[in-house]
Amino acid sequence: MSVRSENKVVVKTNITWKKAWHRDWQLYLMLLFPIVLVFLFNYAAYPGLRMVFMDYKPAKGYAGSKWVGWQTFQKVFKDRDFIRSLRNSIVFNLLDLAFSFPMPIILALMLNELRFPRFKKVTQTILYLPHFLSWVIVGSVAYQLFKPDSGIINVILRDDLHWIDSGIPFLTEKWHWAWSYLLIGVWQSMGWGTILYLAAITSISGDLYEAAMIDGASRWQRMIHITLPGIKSTIVTLLIMQLGKLMNSNFERLDVFGNTQVREFQYQLAIYIYEKGLQASKFSMSTAVGLFQSLVGLILVLLADRFAKLLGEEGLL
Amino acid sequence: MRKNWKAMSALALTGVMAIGMAMPAFAEETTEAAETGTTDPDWEPFADTVELQIPVYDRGVEGVPDVTNNYWTNWIQTNFGDKYNIKVTYVPITRSDVLTSYSLLAASNDLPTVLEEYDYPKVTQWANDGYMRTFDMEEFAKVAPTYYQQMVDNGLDQYSQMGGETYFVAALRPNYNTEYTFQTFVRMDWLKQVGYDHVPTNREEYVDAMTKIMDAGICEHPGGGSMVTGVGSDQNYNYREWPLDEEEWAMYGDYNIPSLGWEPNKKVLYYANQDYNSGITDPEYYLIDDEQAKTNFINGKSYSYSGYTSATMDWLTSFYETNPDAELAIKPVVTQSDETSGETPGYRIDNPFGMLIGFANDATDDEMKAAWMYMEWLIQPDNLFTFQWGYEGENFNYDDNGLPVTVSDYDGEYKQGYNNNKDYWSIIKEGRQAGTMEDQVSAMLPHNLKQDFTEDVVNYYNTKSKVAEAGWGIPNPMYSVTIDAEVEYQQTLVELYKELRDELTMCSPDEFDAKYEEAAKQYADAGYAEVTEQRKEAYEAGNSTKLPNTEASEVQLDQ
Repeated sequence: MSVRSENKVVVKTNITWKKAWHRDWQLYLMLLFPIVLVFLFNYAAYPGLRMVFMDYKPAKGYAGSKWVGWQTFQKVFKDRDFIRSLRNSIVFNLLDLAFSFPMPIILALMLNELRFPRFKKVTQTILYLPHFLSWVIVGSVAYQLFKPDSGIINVILRDDLHWIDSGIPFLTEKWHWAWSYLLIGVWQSMGWGTILYLAAITSISGDLYEAAMIDGASRWQRMIHITLPGIKSTIVTLLIMQLGKLMNSNFERLDVFGNTQVREFQYQLAIYIYEKGLQASKFSMSTAVGLFQSLVGLILVLLADRFAKLLGEEGLL
Repeated sequence: MRKNWKAMSALALTGVMAIGMAMPAFAEETTEAAETGTTDPDWEPFADTVELQIPVYDRGVEGVPDVTNNYWTNWIQTNFGDKYNIKVTYVPITRSDVLTSYSLLAASNDLPTVLEEYDYPKVTQWANDGYMRTFDMEEFAKVAPTYYQQMVDNGLDQYSQMGGETYFVAALRPNYNTEYTFQTFVRMDWLKQVGYDHVPTNREEYVDAMTKIMDAGICEHPGGGSMVTGVGSDQNYNYREWPLDEEEWAMYGDYNIPSLGWEPNKKVLYYANQDYNSGITDPEYYLIDDEQAKTNFINGKSYSYSGYTSATMDWLTSFYETNPDAELAIKPVVTQSDETSGETPGYRIDNPFGMLIGFANDATDDEMKAAWMYMEWLIQPDNLFTFQWGYEGENFNYDDNGLPVTVSDYDGEYKQGYNNNKDYWSIIKEGRQAGTMEDQVSAMLPHNLKQDFTEDVVNYYNTKSKVAEAGWGIPNPMYSVTIDAEVEYQQTLVELYKELRDELTMCSPDEFDAKYEEAAKQYADAGYAEVTEQRKEAYEAGNSTKLPNTEASEVQLDQ
């Protein structure tokens, strides 16, 4: 055993690749399949990216389409619709991060404190369920519940409880929509997000809790001083990964919650790419936007990783 | 100048009358041919199997067979494909998103051999984007003489070229200027309850009737309404000012990009705004899709519903099951101008062609020939008749006059696709024709319901013919050159229009004028100004179709 740096310990073995292959060939063979898939779907498509420098027409192919240099990027960055979709994507993804990211952590800490196992399992299952509902179903149910005039919630609030005079436009006025959109997103994802945190919590040594209890630490103090620091590296890793998705947008979610009254906020990059790229057959334009999204995402991941390391965390890379 | 107007009107009138007179002749000819039967064309089978891919609309409608594999797709293979060593496969195209379907197929180099679509701008865009290959019309005429003759006889060959190259062949649309298969059904029982013995045809009466229906507590928002789709929305033909200005028509007259900023569009939206603010329109209309609108009508939540008629109208059956005491009526044709509202009998003449058909850029000569053979084989009267009507005793029966009548609730082995296999035989023509005009109308309606609408629709057709004779039909302009700005901005404008028109519909009436001006400017800046400018250039260069007439006369009714 030799020490390579202050923190990292590298174990040296005398085993060669040949011996390793001989011993574990079944495992390597199993690994081959996902590697091929990753290569095929994540890297083999890279040559296609050249269409961003072309006026690409599918029917003419790469050979028949004209090279246009940076024209597509210039066109995209001048497009007012792109600017609007970019602004909306960044704002809503930041808000999504602010709302959706802490919720699974809070929920995992709460679930961890539940002592009655069966109740804990049932609660977990109920919380996981929304993750398995497609956005189409979530959207349809949400509209039935929240329509301004005939939605069940508004009917109860207005006609039965007489708390309001006219229906609340939960999904049909842009500001109300923004809140509803974000909160429904939190509801849909928070349960599933607890899984990794709960797994990380189980790896925390029970001795720490025992010692803290002997020292008289309350349940709250144990949660703050043992559980939370124990899952800090998991939180940082997931945060870095989430930051990489800051430029992404979920077409299905945006589409099902869309209507003409909220388009000012609902018009995000996924909608832009669908409408301009697929429906208007502008493949170069949508690829340019996709490439831009990926590049910004990569830069954000690298920056976040660097920042995490500066703070003394291990980072992701 | 005045002389010219008169001469043009006379010419147009003669043209319309000639077509009107020719229509029954087509019908009789088809029936006669169906009775006598024909033999298949005498072609040699291909030495090697040729794969022919034909697109077919997938409408996502329940209760119809799988669009790519059913009895009738197999029937084509057995009777046509196997005979000539052609493997016929059908490629599903999502009806609600045709452009995306074709884009994806093109992107994966999987375009079907045949590309077909009703909208002229779409096919010209495909040709412009290189989806289609050119061909020699004389070669086509040699392989498909019957099809070619149908085109020539109906003047459809003039739509085959773009930029001097031959790209398309065109299917026939009989009665294109007197469309009668799209009807608005209204609640006559409600109208009677509020003192009307007829269906209102002018705005004043309509508003009065709706207000009375609301006041009587019959329906909260009788006007109903549904979200607009953008393309073809808010048609304004009945609010255009006569005599028509041809240049203005060439710039704004198309409906594929709504004409926000043009006076007739403003009138349409002004009345939509009035109806919304007076409660006639459902306040949630912009969340209601067509299926929901249909359900609302069935459930008594709206006064009217418009849709295509066919021998099998499930929704109408459901309506009578839900409302056994209800009485429906067909909304009649507008025959008189209304000075108060500015409405005229003006209406949209459909294109004289049905499907416009092109061939994939990567189709081989053999595949192209196979496609032409398919069209020629299918246009043979006995083949077309079987494909359209099915089998006697199963899909249809002959009536006392020897005319076929569809068994509307047939659900056996030979069940046809949506609307009597229409999405397959639309490559030949729109509509089944057998017997007189009355027989054809009858064939496009169900007859097992509480009410029979044959007489109403025949009256509708006859009145519309008179309106057409008086010159009130307005076609959409078409261009023989690509309007680049349309290709560039159409999608953006269509989406923007949906947003702006709902804003204008729902704003306070006091704000309407100011908001309309603002919206029109936004729309123009988003590309519409460029579109209309390029259309004007095309018109001035003689690269557009012309109006058949710019003036119309009073409709001459018998009674």
